Amino acid sequence: MSSNSSPPPSCWTVDWTPPLSSISCLFLWCTGEIVLSIYLWGILWSALVILLCFYSLCRISPRLSKLPGWISKDGTVNLEKELKECAGRVFVDSQPEFCLPERELLDLSTIDVILISNYHCMMALPYITEHTGFTGTVYATEPTLQIGRLLMEELVNFMERVPKAQSATCWKNKEIQRMLPGPLKDAVDVWTWKRCYSMQEVNSALSKVQLVGYSQKVELFGAVQVSPLSSGYSLGSSNWIIQSHHEKVSYVSGSSLLTTHPQPMDQSSLKNSDVLILTGLTQMPTANPDGMLGEFCSNLAMTIRAGGNVLVPCYSSGVIYDLLECLYQFIDNANLGTTPFYFISPVANSSLEFSQIFAEWLCHNKQTKVYLPEPPFPHAELIQTNKLKHYPSIHGDFSSEFRQPCVVFTGHPSLRFGDVVHFMELWGKSGLNTVIFTEPDFSYLDALAPYQPLAMKCVYCPIDTRLNFHQVSKFLKEVQPLHVVCPEQYTQPPLTQSHRSDLMLELQPPPMPYRRCAVLNLPFRRCYERVYILPELANSLVPSEVKPGITVATVSAVLHSKDNKHTLQSVPKPPPAAPSKKRKRVIEEPPATLAPKPLLSGAVPLEAFLATLQKHGITEVKVEETGEGHILHLQAEDTLIQLEEDGTHIVCDNNEPLRTTLRDLVLRFLQKL
Amino acid sequence: MDSECVSILPRVCEVLAASGSSLPDDTSLEKLLDWLTTITQTGVSLLEACPCLLDFLSNVALNAAPGPGILSFTLKLAGLIGGSEDGFKALEECSVLELVFAPHHWQESGLWEDPSLRIGWIQGLKAILQHSKALGFFVQADLLEPLLQLQTDSSLFVASAANQTLAHVLLLCQSLSSVGRDGTNKRDVEHNGVGVETNQNCSGVVSKVSEYLNESLVPRETSRLPHSQQILKLLSQLLVQVRPPLRETLLRAVLDSLEELATKSCSQLTLPLVDVLLAANSSLGDTDRIPKQRIGKLLSLVLDTKKPTDVVQAAAALMRSRQTDPDHSAHAARVLLLPLDIVTGVSLVDKDSTDEELRILMTEQLQSKTCVSMICMCLTNMPQITVMAPDRLPCPQSLVVRAVLSLLRLCRGDCSSSSAGCVGVFRYVTGSSKVQKCAMEALSALSKSPEVKIGLAEVFKLLTEYLNCPLSEPSVLQKSYKVLINWIDVCTDLSCISDQLREDLTQAVRKRACDTRWEARDSTVEFLGHLAEVRSCRTSGGEEREPSNALLGGRAFAVPLLKEALQDPESYVRASSIAALAQTLTPSWQQGAPVTQEQVEIVTRLQEILSQDSEGFARRAVVKYFIAWFSSCSSPTSCPLLVQHVPAVLSQGAADLDWEVKLHTLELAELLLDRAFPDPAPPHPYAVTPEGLIHGEDEESALLGSLNGVVDRGVVSALFCGLVDCDRPVALKACQLLLRLRAAVCPPTASAADTGVSCKLPGRSWAQEIRKIQGTNTDSEGGSAVGSEARGEAVEESSVGVREALRSLDLDEKLSILTQSSDHVYNSPLSLLQDILTASTAHSHPTSEPGQEVIVDCY
Repeated sequence: MSSNSSPPPSCWTVDWTPPLSSISCLFLWCTGEIVLSIYLWGILWSALVILLCFYSLCRISPRLSKLPGWISKDGTVNLEKELKECAGRVFVDSQPEFCLPERELLDLSTIDVILISNYHCMMALPYITEHTGFTGTVYATEPTLQIGRLLMEELVNFMERVPKAQSATCWKNKEIQRMLPGPLKDAVDVWTWKRCYSMQEVNSALSKVQLVGYSQKVELFGAVQVSPLSSGYSLGSSNWIIQSHHEKVSYVSGSSLLTTHPQPMDQSSLKNSDVLILTGLTQMPTANPDGMLGEFCSNLAMTIRAGGNVLVPCYSSGVIYDLLECLYQFIDNANLGTTPFYFISPVANSSLEFSQIFAEWLCHNKQTKVYLPEPPFPHAELIQTNKLKHYPSIHGDFSSEFRQPCVVFTGHPSLRFGDVVHFMELWGKSGLNTVIFTEPDFSYLDALAPYQPLAMKCVYCPIDTRLNFHQVSKFLKEVQPLHVVCPEQYTQPPLTQSHRSDLMLELQPPPMPYRRCAVLNLPFRRCYERVYILPELANSLVPSEVKPGITVATVSAVLHSKDNKHTLQSVPKPPPAAPSKKRKRVIEEPPATLAPKPLLSGAVPLEAFLATLQKHGITEVKVEETGEGHILHLQAEDTLIQLEEDGTHIVCDNNEPLRTTLRDLVLRFLQKL
Repeated sequence: MDSECVSILPRVCEVLAASGSSLPDDTSLEKLLDWLTTITQTGVSLLEACPCLLDFLSNVALNAAPGPGILSFTLKLAGLIGGSEDGFKALEECSVLELVFAPHHWQESGLWEDPSLRIGWIQGLKAILQHSKALGFFVQADLLEPLLQLQTDSSLFVASAANQTLAHVLLLCQSLSSVGRDGTNKRDVEHNGVGVETNQNCSGVVSKVSEYLNESLVPRETSRLPHSQQILKLLSQLLVQVRPPLRETLLRAVLDSLEELATKSCSQLTLPLVDVLLAANSSLGDTDRIPKQRIGKLLSLVLDTKKPTDVVQAAAALMRSRQTDPDHSAHAARVLLLPLDIVTGVSLVDKDSTDEELRILMTEQLQSKTCVSMICMCLTNMPQITVMAPDRLPCPQSLVVRAVLSLLRLCRGDCSSSSAGCVGVFRYVTGSSKVQKCAMEALSALSKSPEVKIGLAEVFKLLTEYLNCPLSEPSVLQKSYKVLINWIDVCTDLSCISDQLREDLTQAVRKRACDTRWEARDSTVEFLGHLAEVRSCRTSGGEEREPSNALLGGRAFAVPLLKEALQDPESYVRASSIAALAQTLTPSWQQGAPVTQEQVEIVTRLQEILSQDSEGFARRAVVKYFIAWFSSCSSPTSCPLLVQHVPAVLSQGAADLDWEVKLHTLELAELLLDRAFPDPAPPHPYAVTPEGLIHGEDEESALLGSLNGVVDRGVVSALFCGLVDCDRPVALKACQLLLRLRAAVCPPTASAADTGVSCKLPGRSWAQEIRKIQGTNTDSEGGSAVGSEARGEAVEESSVGVREALRSLDLDEKLSILTQSSDHVYNSPLSLLQDILTASTAHSHPTSEPGQEVIVDCY
């Protein structure tokens, strides 16, 4: 086959960015000349960074604003205006800042595509799409986009509520930071931390999102197809398949096999993957979500029965739907029928309503309700019966209708901004009240630190429905990828619990671990490329059967490659030479279409060949067996014939007639195409 | 024997002999045989009572036309008849015996292939082998050989029956030989010739069977393993039952094979082998010629096996038998504690005293999935280990407690105190509720150990952690509560329990009372009830207090939680909370403490439950609550709240739809009767009876006063209501109580017409029924005024004289009817025989009456 195609495709690489629990990575799909970068979206920011700040708290709480500023023991460093000391810990008095995903290793302007897994992990999208030169496309499902927008809107709203203040920057000075107590001392890349984006930036970022549906195949520059699959974690959450005609890579991130509100995880489509990149496992492998939900309910009931209030710092979408559904069933059981439930968030109304309209993205049970027709989520009934009331903020209607004891769901779960701060101040002094943490993203002890001393009871029930190690093992047995790539942390027990062999991935063959900023060569090479033949060219082919069932034909064509699609086209015939006296330029001359030489195939059988040689008077032949075939030494003629699997050589010095004879003898045994 | 049955039986025999396909159901023949067996057991000769049976046997034996079911029945019947010497003789005379028990007779006709026929043959043989003549026949007809062949029958049921029969043959030989040897009064002995023959027969059979057992014990190929297992089971069964010299004969025959098995250590045979060795060990005395030490040596050999699973199983079997010598128990304890030692790192077994190889192999085994079952097996034997003498244990029991606690921590994922050498096991035990439950049971058993005080605080801490843990399954929580109660129960001093621990426990219990899983809530309220019952203990202040007070704040803590649980949506929890309330309040009832507002609220709620709750459990619990209250009060009449509510409880309880509620209501009524009419103390033989006390006017007025009292409280109404109840246990209980009342208030000497106390009969159906019975009885005695009511005329509330009613209700007749089971008519032999005949008629004329279905009683 003649071809003018590019060199064989090169390798896959995976590289990894961000922090802590981090799940993002970059793919480079190289097809010779074209490199396609696909950014698989990861976590939003480091939780730690938020927890170090408590600017908004100081503005809300007079108690906190009176806290002493921090001065080093020897008095040499005075950061009274920037750092506050509370219950033995030091906090930055500044507007919250966010640590962004890794940017040093990547030139974000070269990214072609960003694939978003779920709305929880797209919170840093404006930082990527704005002000970095990013010109690519972002793919996400509709619920991911809409709920992601709500979460960003809520965040911006929270930030805008507190008065602007000057940034605290002095402490970031390397010399000063070194002298600070931990964890401020240990914070890295502090200069890269950013303030929250604006709503304008959010809108701009989200305008770059292209919507996709589950199992929809999106062609990326002809190089690969990407397709989202339900991951079962949240509304519209996706795992991604990235495949070419011959290779398949699955990106599994933030998936759940539990029966909650989203559509169940699509496992079968992940089968037959060459590589499965596994990330976004549960952050709470020892906390069973069912047990936590039970714990949540019993603590809530216990507090209400004792006459106390319950505060649930949470995001305005996600687990809250399950919490409300669980409470819907539990309220009557626990005789809590008259207790009011308040959901306070600037996007509370939208969140509750959005959840009801994304029927096609819900689990089967909820989908069937839509046809009855009934609202898929029971919180509609709670709202209708006035058991659940939602408000955009604590101001306005809420303050007139507020009645205790009650249960309040509000954000932000970090306890650094949002309406939750007011409730912490309001209820923190009474031992009758309880704060129940359900979001796994933040350490509850760190979150509570600025509120100490606290009389309020604190309960930690992190509900993380993502896959645990046991579930992952079963899942991988089911889908059987050839290779698994996962963060290094998954391949060993937690540092503090080195005995817990149940808290790690044990696979055969072992998974390929990756660590921050590592570059991996994935264990497969692209060997084949699909080429299309145009019908008229195909018609001209003359196939001949070389073996039963195997037919070959020679083809002379022009290989046309565009957008990673390769097509064989007929060689254009030269136009009849117009009589012209003008001398044509060489480059304008059509390529000479010479008749191709016949192609030979087959093997030379040794015995028969020796017999033929003998017939032609060559009798003194010494046969030597080599690894690849045989060497025949024609002793009288001092000539060598090398018969090998993929070639035949006649070494004959200065005897062209003999060489020709021998060549013809060899050709007798081969087929011509 | 019922004459009607005797008259029908010949026709039944004809039907059966003609064809067996028309039986009413599969169990008819079994029931028929059961009936005939019952007749035999009463000492009646079957052939004398039913001579037709002999004809039936001859008919069937000669004409094998009926199906294998009838043939099997025939063989069993032949055995039953031949079991007596007279019957045997009769069978012998009419040549039935040789015919029916000759296997070749059935083999030739091809019927032997049917397993039911083989079963019939075996069971018939077993039934007939009751005397020396039968043994003689058994030997002469050479039936041992086919019986031995059947030991390995392809049908498991046949093989098992053959197994049992072989054991029976040996036991018969033993009893016949001992009769001859003891020279007692049997006819065999009187007739010397027969005695010698019997002995010869016995020794021949014993020797053949012993030889067979010996040859079959060691499996030569894997496929023979099940057979060896069966032989071992037979042997262990025999060794328990046989006496010397047969025991020695058997043991001598198989000892070498047993030794070979012990050396081979075949996993599937380990347990049955241990059973045989234990049976032999326990039965052998010091005077036996086979040294006990040899059996002991074999036991040691099994306990030294290097296969961890086998050795643990053997040790567990040995421990369970509770009959081994101290050395073996100590050895078994070491084996059973070894897995715990390895997993937890607590040094329970001295490394020098255990085989290093076994330790290594067991450590390896514990890394696999089987570790859970192995650990559980070790834990389930903890009760046996706790009762062992301390000097026989490889370590102090406090260490065992520590190891179990450590294991429980591992199950929660806390590896801090575990052994580093057994990491693989964590994968399997972490979160394993099976291990948790077994460990909890073990911990419970360990509470009985005298050294418990050592770990009390530690145990409390761990149990509180388990109660607090969101991942604990309800069954584990329930066990945790149970362990807690057990430990508190044996503990006389709770001073080691810190305030923090107490606070944690309180929080945990409070939280579990609000759990989303009803099982957890149920266990919690049960725990509160049980805790209230635990006897007093010493607290840190040195004062004696009830543990519920010392740990949880007593009633002030428990009662509000339990009151809340009365509203629980799950009826089990409501029922448990009512029971727990009763347990909690019992002490105050016993002390005669004044009634609080809280108790008034509780009683009001209980009344609501009794009248409105849709579930029987809760309503039953309410009645039981009042029973407990009434029983605890030294003087119920002095408790106005109780007195006030009892009539309502009796009235509602008696009208309940649930028969258990009604029965409990009658129990409450019984208590009231007991108080009103106490059993007179047995008179002292020399006591002086005060004049005028017996049937004196004072006594009469006291009696009337008491009767009035029980009528006013609704006791008599409840009893009348119960008497006509459709549930037999209720009616029976009511009848018994009414009889007691009649005995108390209607002295035989008093006139029938006396009046006095009357009871109101409401217009409800039960009262109508009472009037009807009363009317019928008085009508038969000469007419009554209440007859019109009984005829269904309009019924209004009216009164009835209690004494008159008690006399006229014919309670004795009612009692005799109620004492019989409700299906006694349908289960009677006559009914069975009639059914067989009816079924046969229906079968022979299937189309005689088209469209009319023959309805047969279903058993």
